[in-house]
Amino acid sequence: MGLLTILKKMKQKEREMRLLMLGLDNAGKTTILKKFNGEDVSTISPTLGFNIKTLEHRGFKLNIWDVGGQKSLRSYWRNYFESTDGLVWVVDSADRLRLDDCRRELGALLLEERLAGATLLVFANKQDLPGALSKEAIREALALDDIKSHHWCVIGCSAVTGENLLAGVDWLLDDIAARIFTAD
Amino acid sequence: MEIQEQSVRSCAENMVEMVDVDEELFAVSSSSAADSAFDAVIGCIEDIIMEEDFQHLQQSFMEKHYLEFDDSDENKLSYTPIFNEYVDLLEKHLEQQLTERIPGFNMNTFIELLMHNKEEVPDDIYDMLLTFTDFMAFKEMFLEYRAAKEGRGLDLSQGLVVTSVGPAGSM
Repeated sequence: MGLLTILKKMKQKEREMRLLMLGLDNAGKTTILKKFNGEDVSTISPTLGFNIKTLEHRGFKLNIWDVGGQKSLRSYWRNYFESTDGLVWVVDSADRLRLDDCRRELGALLLEERLAGATLLVFANKQDLPGALSKEAIREALALDDIKSHHWCVIGCSAVTGENLLAGVDWLLDDIAARIFTAD
Repeated sequence: MEIQEQSVRSCAENMVEMVDVDEELFAVSSSSAADSAFDAVIGCIEDIIMEEDFQHLQQSFMEKHYLEFDDSDENKLSYTPIFNEYVDLLEKHLEQQLTERIPGFNMNTFIELLMHNKEEVPDDIYDMLLTFTDFMAFKEMFLEYRAAKEGRGLDLSQGLVVTSVGPAGSM
């Protein structure tokens, strides 16, 4: 690792966090990102690349990276693992047919060495839809209780209404802060 | 002949000794000699990034890749390898230049020293070095470069009224 990369890492220790938001396509990642940022969420098209937003929250600078979730794009996810403090896994709670797929992809991520130190927040999104599974059902379907390698939490939310989005980020922030900033 | 050879050899030996001394200076962070050696490296870094060579390096890199960048909010996946290549290029240049200019320079030793003396780095240098690894600043730099290349450097379009000169305009 060279000089510039090290400097960047040093800087990041000062109340700055990097959050990586992943999940299957159509889970609502970009909608969550834009909702956080106070942007219009009525017309969002599938992400083919990635989006970055920086939010100031409770005195922390959160750099949120949202990478497209289509199957053909998932092999690129690994290019965004480095220095991730928190992984936000977004689930379309109404997409029952792809829950197996969803569980497998998450399982693969949790084996990644560069994500080993990251806290995991699972957003059971689209709770506003009539057919949505509860966060308990998502917890079971994704076998979250089997996860021993990471701190994790599942929160039911709606990106469209904004319900519980902040609650999720607050939990994530608390967990990361307790891990990183009290260690100094 | 013999004398000449000897003197050459002893000169080389001296240089080796100097290198040793320098390395020791870097290793002891508490001594004032180490402080001034540290300051010298920081000064050197400042010189390097202000030089034309460095600007040329950035320019030719942008020239090679600028057509890939466009002004949409969403970023292409292809930006990421280009960004990584950019950081790598600048890091290598910095390290190579420092090694050339400072006898016995060792990047790993310097980085270690840097981590313990972060406050000693002037804010403007620190910020400038950080910009090199900031993805959004990187993208912005490319968009500006592309705009300048395509004659959109200054957006005067709203303040200018284009009128044609000559017979066609008199219609």
